[in-house]
Amino acid sequence: MTRPASPAFTPARARGRAAPGPQAPSMLGAVWRRLTSDTVIQLAVIAVLLIAWETVTRLGLVHPFLLPRLSAVLERIYNNALNGKVFMDLGLTLYRAAAGFFIGVAVAIPLGVMMARNAGVRWFFDPLVSIGFPMPKISFLPIFILWFGIFDTSKIVMIAFSCFFPVVSATYAGTLGVDKWVIWSARSFGARESQVLREVVLPMALPQILTGIQIAVPVGLITTVVTEMLMGGPGIGGSMMAAGRFADSVGVFAGIVEIAVLGAIVVKGVERMRAYLLRWHAEARH
Amino acid sequence: MNAARPQPARTDTAPGDVGIEIRDVSHQYGGRGGQGGVTALDHITLHIRANEFHALLGPSGCGKSTLLYLIGGFVPVQSGVIETRRGVVTGPSPDRGIVFQNFALFPWKTVLQNVLYGLEKLGLPKKDREDRARHFIDLVHLSGFENAYPSQLSGGMQQRAAIARTLAVDPEILLMDEPFGALDAQTRRVMQEELRAIFERTRKTVVFVTHDVQEAVFLADRISIMSARPGRIQHILDVDMDRSRGDEITKRPEFVDLGEHIWGLVRDQAIAATRGAH
Amino acid sequence: MGATLNTLWRYTPLLICLAIWEILATAGPVSNQLLPDVASVGKALWSLILDGELLRQAGHSLYRAATGFLLAVVIGTTAGLLMATFRGVRLVVNPIVQMFYPMPKSALIPVMMIWFGLGDMSKIVLIFIGCLLPVVISAYNGARGVNPFLIWSARSLGASRTSTLVQVTLPAAMPEILNGIRTALAFAFILMVSSEFVIAKDGFGYLISQLGDGGAYEAMFAVILVVAAAGFTADRLYGAFVRHQLRWREP
Repeated sequence: MTRPASPAFTPARARGRAAPGPQAPSMLGAVWRRLTSDTVIQLAVIAVLLIAWETVTRLGLVHPFLLPRLSAVLERIYNNALNGKVFMDLGLTLYRAAAGFFIGVAVAIPLGVMMARNAGVRWFFDPLVSIGFPMPKISFLPIFILWFGIFDTSKIVMIAFSCFFPVVSATYAGTLGVDKWVIWSARSFGARESQVLREVVLPMALPQILTGIQIAVPVGLITTVVTEMLMGGPGIGGSMMAAGRFADSVGVFAGIVEIAVLGAIVVKGVERMRAYLLRWHAEARH
Repeated sequence: MNAARPQPARTDTAPGDVGIEIRDVSHQYGGRGGQGGVTALDHITLHIRANEFHALLGPSGCGKSTLLYLIGGFVPVQSGVIETRRGVVTGPSPDRGIVFQNFALFPWKTVLQNVLYGLEKLGLPKKDREDRARHFIDLVHLSGFENAYPSQLSGGMQQRAAIARTLAVDPEILLMDEPFGALDAQTRRVMQEELRAIFERTRKTVVFVTHDVQEAVFLADRISIMSARPGRIQHILDVDMDRSRGDEITKRPEFVDLGEHIWGLVRDQAIAATRGAH
Repeated sequence: MGATLNTLWRYTPLLICLAIWEILATAGPVSNQLLPDVASVGKALWSLILDGELLRQAGHSLYRAATGFLLAVVIGTTAGLLMATFRGVRLVVNPIVQMFYPMPKSALIPVMMIWFGLGDMSKIVLIFIGCLLPVVISAYNGARGVNPFLIWSARSLGASRTSTLVQVTLPAAMPEILNGIRTALAFAFILMVSSEFVIAKDGFGYLISQLGDGGAYEAMFAVILVVAAAGFTADRLYGAFVRHQLRWREP
């Protein structure tokens, strides 16, 4: 984030900073630099936005139905936390998202590997995957509701179906892209085919597989929320729809903040996992 | 085009055991049933002596790497036979180690873990594995980098690690596929000297593929010069030089003369290759 | 002739899937209610086309998707490039991007309903927001990744900051930007269908829901397949456009 916007201007800026002048007290200079550091300014931007939200609503400039007060939303979240509603909603949402995601991935990774290594499997699945990948999978939701009812099964099948395609495409491409030299090296040390697959091909394809997973996770969360909104019941999507139906806009905004926090935790968690799993990769040190 | 076929008369007088025997090996890419494809190797017969450093020299696209992959067992032999002291080559085996131009290290393993990989496959006891791995890391002067990942190392260091990984399993035969081709000129020179020094100590049968005349003359005991498509052995030359003074030999007149002589032989091939002549 | 056979061979698996579908629907244990057979889905599709219903709803949906998507492409690219060029812009926009990026955009559907009602605007804004972030991020990363020597060369030749941005940074960042736009295109379709499922009085999603609620499953299957085909076609057309745009990258 500290990379200069235009490298042509770097020397001038660096010179200006390095020479505060004899009359400038260095302590004050340090404090000023700290205050104008990227992190502090960015946090300040968020603070200003939140304060603006509260002020605008307190002054009555916006109808409270369109935009409830931030303090009211936070109070609702606090109450929801006290009576456990947050944990029930988010827990159910997370459970459905995770179940669908893991089922989708559990099918996608082996299939992607087999597609790359077996001509017959590739022949059959390649057109299906390349057609399925760019389709809006969510449009199949009514079919899954028809087949599996309006409870968790149809939601989880829908989520698994959505998460499957990015991961199978990435695994297929990643496995196909493993260069033969590394495989030959392993073979020259006496590795059997199953060992080559487990010890060489999968780790080599891992960066791409993780990229597929990083596409699948947000798609899975979007899908989860939509299925819950459509089918109602407990879960963050259902709760938000219920709040919307009763014109409870505080409830709607509380739901948005709650799901945003969950999304941030999950997405950042996956990023952390990638950084850990790929600590050997050049990307870990850019 | 003075020698259409290899000269068995010369190799038959070879002293010592046969390290690798290549008999009448041909290879084609593309096409089916030997038709319509590109002939990469055309009836190659070559005897590589045990414990000699043998360079395969030729222009790019002459099939010298293909021949190396056939010896390694990575590519199946289509016609002819390749035999070592362990028998006919049918697939890869730890007694034929290989070092590739692009290092082919396992990028998710540290230097130490890379070197340990082959030792684990050999089934050595844990303590021995570790000791042996460290010994070979030391041999290639990588001590202190045991826990570095390949992506943290320079090209030269990565190739050192790859050489250590291959030497550690103690293969009888060491196959090297333009191993220094991706390195800068200075690093390449240092690596050549060290490789020759390691060879003097370990005395494996080495097959070294290169298109660099200087490199072949500096490193090898014998040099096979290959022609461009279809790949044939055109000449086999002995490099008889006292190597005890290491780097010095490159300045000696006989080294320079031999280099000039070989360049004369290779030059026609290289020109033919760039003009697409068959 | 050979090429036709090749294409046929490539898409044979699809035909096999259609055949399995047909067998399951007509002879299998699955009742016709759950899985209408291929022929009746085709017939339903034909009548939807004939009475203009499909085209009308498609017009609503695609108008929303296209408007939100195109707005996001224009504004997102501009914002990303400005973020990469000016520290001030980056410091203001980046925290907002970071905050909204991980949020599942479908959670905004009820708010869109509160703010904009059931009409077009609620979907357009939702699709705009959903498509915006992938474009902003790819434009920002693409512009930051531009080889500084390119920019230095332009500056040393006397180009102003603005013209450098438009004439050097933008084209150099284009491959990455086009990639981000492809992600945005997928999101546009997902959010279009999702929002029309949840709140709408017209559009593809609404039509599918209506047909499903009315038990017209043949027609429902038909429309779903049309939506899937539309998403697929849009992606393929975009792919062809990108290949055309990036032909300078070919060796």
